[in-house]
Amino acid sequence: MSILAYIVMGIGVAFMLLGVIGIFKPGKDFYYRILVACKIDTVGLLTLGIGLAIYHGISFFTGKMFLIVIMILVLNPFVAHIVARSASRSGYDSIGDSTDVDESAGEK
Amino acid sequence: MGGFLAELLLLVFLVLCALYIVFSRKIYRVIIFFAVFSLITSVIYLFLGAPDVAMAEAGISAFTTIFFIVCLEKYYSRGKDGRNEATAPVPKVPLRVLLPAILFVSGLFALFILYAPTGYPYTGLRDQYLRMFMRDVGGENAVTAIYLGYRVYDTLFEALLLVTAVVAVLHLSWYSEAAVPDGRHSELEDSRMAKFTMRIVCPMILLFGMYLVLNGHISAGGGFLGGLAFALILICRFFVVGIFDLPIKKALKLEEIVFVFIVILPIFAIFTGVVYHFWGNSVLFQTIYLIAMNALVGLKVAFGFFVLFYRYVAVERLPEEDDTEDVKEAG
Amino acid sequence: MYVIFAIMLGLLVPYCIRVAVGPSVWDRLLGVNLISSKIIIIIILYSSLNDLPFLLDFAIFYALSGFIGTIFIALFFSDRDTKKGLGDRK
Repeated sequence: MSILAYIVMGIGVAFMLLGVIGIFKPGKDFYYRILVACKIDTVGLLTLGIGLAIYHGISFFTGKMFLIVIMILVLNPFVAHIVARSASRSGYDSIGDSTDVDESAGEK
Repeated sequence: MGGFLAELLLLVFLVLCALYIVFSRKIYRVIIFFAVFSLITSVIYLFLGAPDVAMAEAGISAFTTIFFIVCLEKYYSRGKDGRNEATAPVPKVPLRVLLPAILFVSGLFALFILYAPTGYPYTGLRDQYLRMFMRDVGGENAVTAIYLGYRVYDTLFEALLLVTAVVAVLHLSWYSEAAVPDGRHSELEDSRMAKFTMRIVCPMILLFGMYLVLNGHISAGGGFLGGLAFALILICRFFVVGIFDLPIKKALKLEEIVFVFIVILPIFAIFTGVVYHFWGNSVLFQTIYLIAMNALVGLKVAFGFFVLFYRYVAVERLPEEDDTEDVKEAG
Repeated sequence: MYVIFAIMLGLLVPYCIRVAVGPSVWDRLLGVNLISSKIIIIIILYSSLNDLPFLLDFAIFYALSGFIGTIFIALFFSDRDTKKGLGDRK
């Protein structure tokens, strides 16, 4: 049983490591990054949680952990949606556009 | 060993974040990095074995981020004149002035580490507290036993501090009745996704806050964190439907009434010993006392943070230009 | 299990780099979001390794309260013309 748990957890970790490649791939814009990173991150966390649940069997720990996994499943895509929506509404859309927020007014 | 290495890595992160915060010249980057700093700090507290402090850090970091960002927004929305006035050059301290001071402080620190006492003198106090708190105050969580039993004066004083802070914000914030009716709306009100998510999340937060308050004496958490969770619901409500139809004046009144009860309950239960004379040192009474005090502290923190958030974030209007000048001249 | 714990700690490094060098403010927010979800996993693994199930309360509290700051920062930068400076709404 624990071998199966380790395999499932390894799949989750592999997903997260692939997400690192996603957020550092050169030549891609912000929307590519947030799509890859948040999708793969949520899937990885879900898989890791299932692996831990198999590892611990039916117990107090597993019940609480499923609560956490459900919350992450609801909240993580929501935060990614809000961030991407904020970027889209500000008109940040061009590839290779390294415009940061112009803070010449903010220099003190 | 693994835990030690993890702590070391996180501490290195902490130092790097602190350096970035100090040396960065852009305010919003400082705010974002401060959020990361709080995250890492709370995990370090957890590794060092203080889950109560870690939870408090995590809850407060959410509120500090909100207050910082609202402060930044108010600063930028003052108009061009106000913005230009604020750009005074910061005097740069040359390194050769700072270097002796840094060397002196690090030398003192090294001496302190080298000659630190290797152990604490044994006075028996530690064993006595650990042996007696179950009998004296009751409950499983020694932290709760201390802050509601041995050190209840500290709790009263902290509650008084929160009341003072709320009253100060109420009287110093620029708030006029005429500008209130619509207040400041969030930009998520037309988002169906936000409504759906909050519909799931808000009952969870309410349930978890009640769990924290009612289990404060046997697990980590307690009144303060339960109150923070209750206040988070109102912020989530602000995202989707606004909080302008809630009775703010009643919340303020309720906070003061709850503070009076927080003072009265320990007077009867602990200071005068009235209850002890009638019922003796029973576990049932102790449990009731701890749960009641936790619930009162939670209600008080919830109302206090709600009033702070409402006044400071939701409805405060900046004064007109003339008023600003008056305030500056008067100050 | 220790290996997974170490990998999760090591994953904080690229995310912190993304927060530090990210060309725009939304890249930084993406990094903060990833860091907070990693930290929840670190807490779960820590409590699983040391057999301390009461630490999961902390993870629940973190999952419920950590997103609010990120959303506020994102709403602050939403609807703003970034070319002209922070003060001007579109």
